[in-house]
Amino acid sequence: MNSLSLAWRLLLRQRRAGDLKVVIAALAVAIAALVSVMSFADRLQRALKFQGSELLAADLVVRSPYPPKFEWLAEISRLGLKSARTVSFRSVVIHGEYSQLAEVKAVAEGYPLRGGLRVAADVNVEDASVVGIPPMGTVWVDGQLLTLLNMTTGGRVNLGSRQFLTDKVITLEPDRGGTVFAIAPRLMLNLADLPSTELIQPGSLASHRLLVAGDVGLIGVFRDWMQDRKEAGVVLQDAGNAQPRFRAALNKGEQFLGLATLVTVLLSGVAIARAARNYAQRHLDTVALMRCVGATQRKILEVLITQLLILGTVGSAIGCALGYVAQQAFVYLIPGLVAGDLPWPSLTPAMVGVSAGVVTIVGFAAPIIIRLRGVPPLRVLRRELGTLPNHVAAVYITAMLTLAALVFWVARDVTLAAYVLGGSLIAVVLLSALSYLLIRLINHMRGGVTVTWRFGIAALARRAGSSIGQIVAIGIGVMAILLLTLVRSDLLQAWRANLPPDTPNHFLINIQPGQLADIEKYFREQRWRRPHLRPIVRARLMAINDRPVRPQDFADAFAQRVVQRAANLSWMETLQDDNELVAGEWWRDQERASPLVSVEKQYAEALGLSLGDKLKYRIADQEITVAVSNLRTVAWDSFRPNFFLLVPPALLNGYPASYITSLYVPRSRAHQINALIKKFPNVTNIDVDALLRQVRRLVDRINAVLEYIFLFTVLAGIVVLYAAIQTTQGERRQEVAILRTLGATRRQLSIGMVSEFVVMGVLAGAVGALAAMLIGYGISAQLLDIPYRLQFRTWLVGVGAAVTIVTGAGILGTYRLWRTSPWQILRNH
Amino acid sequence: MTPDVIVQAEALTKQVSSPEGALTILDGVSMSVRSAETLAVVGVSGSGKSTLLGLLAGLDEPTAGRVILNGTDLSQVDEDERARVRAGRVGFVFQNFQLLPSLTAIENVMLPLELTGHARAEQQARSGLGRVGLADRVAHYPAQLSGGEQQRVAIARAFATNPRILFADEPTGNLDEKTGGRIIDLLFDLNREHGTTLILVTHDRAIGIRCDRRLELSAGRLLGEPI
Ligand SMILES: Nc1ncnc2c1ncn2[C@@H]1O[C@H](COP(=O)(O)OP(=O)(O)O)[C@@H](O)[C@H]1O
Ligand SMILES: [Mg+2]
Repeated sequence: MNSLSLAWRLLLRQRRAGDLKVVIAALAVAIAALVSVMSFADRLQRALKFQGSELLAADLVVRSPYPPKFEWLAEISRLGLKSARTVSFRSVVIHGEYSQLAEVKAVAEGYPLRGGLRVAADVNVEDASVVGIPPMGTVWVDGQLLTLLNMTTGGRVNLGSRQFLTDKVITLEPDRGGTVFAIAPRLMLNLADLPSTELIQPGSLASHRLLVAGDVGLIGVFRDWMQDRKEAGVVLQDAGNAQPRFRAALNKGEQFLGLATLVTVLLSGVAIARAARNYAQRHLDTVALMRCVGATQRKILEVLITQLLILGTVGSAIGCALGYVAQQAFVYLIPGLVAGDLPWPSLTPAMVGVSAGVVTIVGFAAPIIIRLRGVPPLRVLRRELGTLPNHVAAVYITAMLTLAALVFWVARDVTLAAYVLGGSLIAVVLLSALSYLLIRLINHMRGGVTVTWRFGIAALARRAGSSIGQIVAIGIGVMAILLLTLVRSDLLQAWRANLPPDTPNHFLINIQPGQLADIEKYFREQRWRRPHLRPIVRARLMAINDRPVRPQDFADAFAQRVVQRAANLSWMETLQDDNELVAGEWWRDQERASPLVSVEKQYAEALGLSLGDKLKYRIADQEITVAVSNLRTVAWDSFRPNFFLLVPPALLNGYPASYITSLYVPRSRAHQINALIKKFPNVTNIDVDALLRQVRRLVDRINAVLEYIFLFTVLAGIVVLYAAIQTTQGERRQEVAILRTLGATRRQLSIGMVSEFVVMGVLAGAVGALAAMLIGYGISAQLLDIPYRLQFRTWLVGVGAAVTIVTGAGILGTYRLWRTSPWQILRNH
Repeated sequence: MTPDVIVQAEALTKQVSSPEGALTILDGVSMSVRSAETLAVVGVSGSGKSTLLGLLAGLDEPTAGRVILNGTDLSQVDEDERARVRAGRVGFVFQNFQLLPSLTAIENVMLPLELTGHARAEQQARSGLGRVGLADRVAHYPAQLSGGEQQRVAIARAFATNPRILFADEPTGNLDEKTGGRIIDLLFDLNREHGTTLILVTHDRAIGIRCDRRLELSAGRLLGEPI
């Protein structure tokens, strides 16, 4: 008979014995957890990208100083992508005797391709989302412009050689751009009306944008195509470099999802590993018997490996199916998760799932099975012969490499994977070593404790090999659950702390130095919090280390923009608490007027700046050269004025500066802002309330999702713990039965068993919790940029939880034994 | 019930479910055993001997009928109470020894003593092992002992608490003839020394003959006393 059909028939026979159910169930549960979390996270990540797209109103934007070329549009329609055009420029808007410089934006039908505008009928009335663009002959403006022009909606404004009806007030324009500062109030009109204003002539200073949206893959194709044809002044922008305030929240959410996926992979791996080992263990007798009846070692190997492959495939397939069902259930559980529809689940998680199942089960069981070849046929007669090798380093190393490969495969973030893997590895080594020592130690003291405890301890010690495996598995389970809990609560706290209810929702810019005292006085009268007034000096970057800068020298879109535009230099005595120094040193007192500059880290990376580099700026008609003295990170989501560039406080004395501040005014009292603007007409108000609400909504949604993913992963972890405890159930059955024939009461039995679980729980919990805290520390501090404190209390809670869960699962798993007749159990031994 | 009857069975019936439907493996068995009596239950393999033993010891529950063990009606009490009835008063010797693999020989013998809170469990266990000739093997694990040695540990464990009743299910079934003979001798010697009631299941008539009384089972029914 060939090995395949023999393997198959033997498997079918085992099916009746109920053995297979255990392996397949463990595999299916693990794979279901993996596939559902991965698939859901994947869908969500794509959906979140989409939310990022809202900030661009598109998936990709091509910005150029001239109208889009015909060939670009041809390529877009060839690929079947959607597109829309906008043109932005500055112009004076006139209403009666009032005039004001405005940021004019002409938009074409279809705008915005992603996200949506919100408009209101007038200032200070409830807003609503709107589909479409201003009808021809009308314009939409922001409240600021109305106030400055001293008018209400329904009034008429002159723009170029045309007159328009002012129809609506824009409250949210998601793609208004990352540079909130130094922009004038908004006026939006229909692109079809633009030629008749006669404002745009060839050579006029206008920014043309071509918005593109569609399938992620096709967008990629178009981006590459454009990249090759890009001329000077053309900039490509995608969701990745949209609003930094959004990106910060999004990134953290995505990283947490990634972490949850990784941890689930790890947990699944551990569960499958335990199942594989059990399976191999149970096969000792079969193998001995096969050898007795004359099977060659080669034959046995073939049969067993074939069986593993069949098992792996069947279990994983069931797991995948369950996983897809579960992740779809998530979607129904959390309605309104993201703005649009969730993208369809991709097949990748299923592929990863099946391969994970097969690879892990073979990876963990094969080394044992290869050893099984050597089981002496005599085992049929003497069971104690040929027990499983427990300390074979090769087994664990092969298996762990398998798992590591898997983790790296699913990880999008290599650093994250490295933290999780490194921490787990340390935990595994520590757990093995400590449990080995502990088992030796308690074995010595078993004479000194009561019978019930002795029984539990002896059981641990006797099963040293599988006890160590069990403790390691439980420890990893505890680590995974706790890690996720810790990082999640840190994340929530950080988000909450970043967006308290009184987060500034208005920025006042363009305040003149002479107005500072009056503004402060006005704030006092209004009983607003004392303003932090930050100076700004507009400067243009001329050269880096004496080399003149030109936009086309930079590949990065962000860098090109930076170089094209004027920079805002501000100064500060000390570092604001939402800034953190990452390199170099902050200026000392005697450097108050030294030519130094502090640069935001990503800004520095985009321009390729490092400490000591010399930047030459032109301010009005003077030039100044400053040296990079330190690099900072900035928590942009604090919604406070922050700057890429800071100089020492006295350096720019005498240069023309204006001031900026932010403040919180409840929406119901927005008229107070209008009164302020009337009083200080040169001051510009930037209303970020709608944007802030959008960020909050986003954070809430991500939060809800994380909640579910988190719960699910924790459930998976508990399943792992349960499975790990089930490992020794066979031996336990016999022990319980014998003790009961000897007259042990349920109380005595439970103390014995609980003692064993408590010892395992304490050890696994102590090491698992420690590992979780260290990994959590690494991830929070290094990746998520969340301040983190190692707390002894957290560790204690971890240990307590581990003991509770392990003991709980243990009692749950053994409770049944107390109800079965001991005679039935003994018959089977 | 006569005062010195220690085990009494009334119309014991045991049915189990099998793929072919309900299977009656013990059918209306009534019997009683007096204190300090030795009784052999004989019968061919599969006749229901082990089943009967398990029921008499309260390790399993009958489908019908009842067992009164040492004055307690086992059908009236729960599993924990049945365990209490056994603790210290009932000893077991099994065909496949049933030692706990995680405990050493002496720890196995100490188990029943400690479960009843015996003060000098270790000395008692040590002397018990000495009595069965294993004084120099106290610290060995079951896997390190031969079949005969394991059964001797089991016998030491069975007598450790000086029980009133000893149940033995084919104690020589897994041993060669010579070793089996020695084990049976040991069992009867200890039984005499302790004055224990012995209920011994065997398919070996030669062993049955050494008991005061014999009952024969056939297909789950009692045939009455052979010979
Ligand atoms: N739990 C059970 N399920 C099915 N059949 C059983 C069960 N227990 C015992 N039997 C059957 O009952 C019969 C009697 O068993 P047993 O009491 O062990 O016999 P003996 O000890 O005399 O050899 C046997 O045929 C056995 O297969
Ligand atoms: Mg039998």
